[in-house]
Amino acid sequence: MKAEQSKLVLIWPILLLLCVLTAGCDVMKGSEATEPNQLSLSDVPAFQDSPYVELNGNEPLFTDEQKTTKAFEQYSELDRLGRCGSAYACIGRELMPTEERGSIGQIKPTGWHTVKYDFVDGKYLYNRCHLIGFQLTAENANEKNLITGTRYMNVEGMLPFENMVADYVKETDHHVLYRVTPIYEGENLVASGVEMEALSVEDNGEGVCFHVYVYNNQPGVTIDYKTGESRLSTQSSPDSEDTLEEYVLNTSSRKFHLPTCTSVNSIKEENKEIYQGSRDKLMAEGYEPCKNCNP
Amino acid sequence: MNVMVCLDDRCGMAFHHRRQSRDRFVVNDLISQCGERRLLIEPYSTPLFEGFDKETVADSDFLSNARLSDYCFVERQGIRPVLSKIKQIIVYRWNRVYPADLYFDIDLSKGWKRILVTDFAGYSHKKITKEIYIR
Repeated sequence: MKAEQSKLVLIWPILLLLCVLTAGCDVMKGSEATEPNQLSLSDVPAFQDSPYVELNGNEPLFTDEQKTTKAFEQYSELDRLGRCGSAYACIGRELMPTEERGSIGQIKPTGWHTVKYDFVDGKYLYNRCHLIGFQLTAENANEKNLITGTRYMNVEGMLPFENMVADYVKETDHHVLYRVTPIYEGENLVASGVEMEALSVEDNGEGVCFHVYVYNNQPGVTIDYKTGESRLSTQSSPDSEDTLEEYVLNTSSRKFHLPTCTSVNSIKEENKEIYQGSRDKLMAEGYEPCKNCNP
Repeated sequence: MNVMVCLDDRCGMAFHHRRQSRDRFVVNDLISQCGERRLLIEPYSTPLFEGFDKETVADSDFLSNARLSDYCFVERQGIRPVLSKIKQIIVYRWNRVYPADLYFDIDLSKGWKRILVTDFAGYSHKKITKEIYIR
């Protein structure tokens, strides 16, 4: 399998060239994206408080042969479970949208659930998350480009990188090699995260160069990536027990403290509340940990 | 001296040793702001000013070497070490969020007075907000 993939990687530039020469097209659309080396989740630190982490010193893995100024976009065929694979493009002005985005509600990516949590921005836990953002290639309701992604991954994780690429291309009229690969654990229907790589071509990465892993997490929510089902992180799962802690709440400042924290003495009695429960639940309710005692 | 910076919505300046974004209309405006006074930059910023009618002084230690009347366009470093020399800060806000690993290191809500805020359309950005702060 690996050897076959290597061959595909090697012959892809030739196929690309043949396509250009024979079709004479300025923009190419393909249905088979070149697969990058598969990222192992064991190489990624556990999600903490940042929506992404850098990989490989932030250097993408594009080869010299892949560097082209000819715009194209390729999307992997869905696998036997119906899951998206890598989406790969050379982003240029010529691919960018010229009209407003249409509806994508008809697409149901693997693991899709329509579920709301009050504390999630926009309420909905999941977005139909474009691997290659609409603002980059105008690819809208393409099932090979849409995965089940948390609001947090979509907006906090992926969007800033898409913005960076889109604005660079608009400003310079240059091209950016861009690849987004969803990473699944085993046969899970929901990706654990996405690997994002980008490199500006004409200036060899001077303008845009990154390689990151974006977590498909939502703070305060526990996701079963096998099915896409979710629950408040505070709710007990069938095979686990809640961890109960004791904190002192300041219901006015919405901060929580350890009972031994010196700041507790300065909380007005009417704003003070003793809480027994989990830290995750407090965070989900909008409370922030005190910066002194760091509970 | 006068400092000019570009910031995103989270006061980010750069990511992976690169500027977050660029816009030729911003460059044009900061050149106008500078007028006849010297414009100091780090060597990395030089290509940004190519094609513009303004001579720049590229110096890897430009913040330390700047005179009081100079304008310094800062992209990839903090300015706190030269804070005492700064009399004016001009901020261009992208009104977007980009990835960042370098953030502006001055809290403009403390000890600084905003004397101008204005919006203009960029070349590749819908809305740029320009703000001028003095002590």
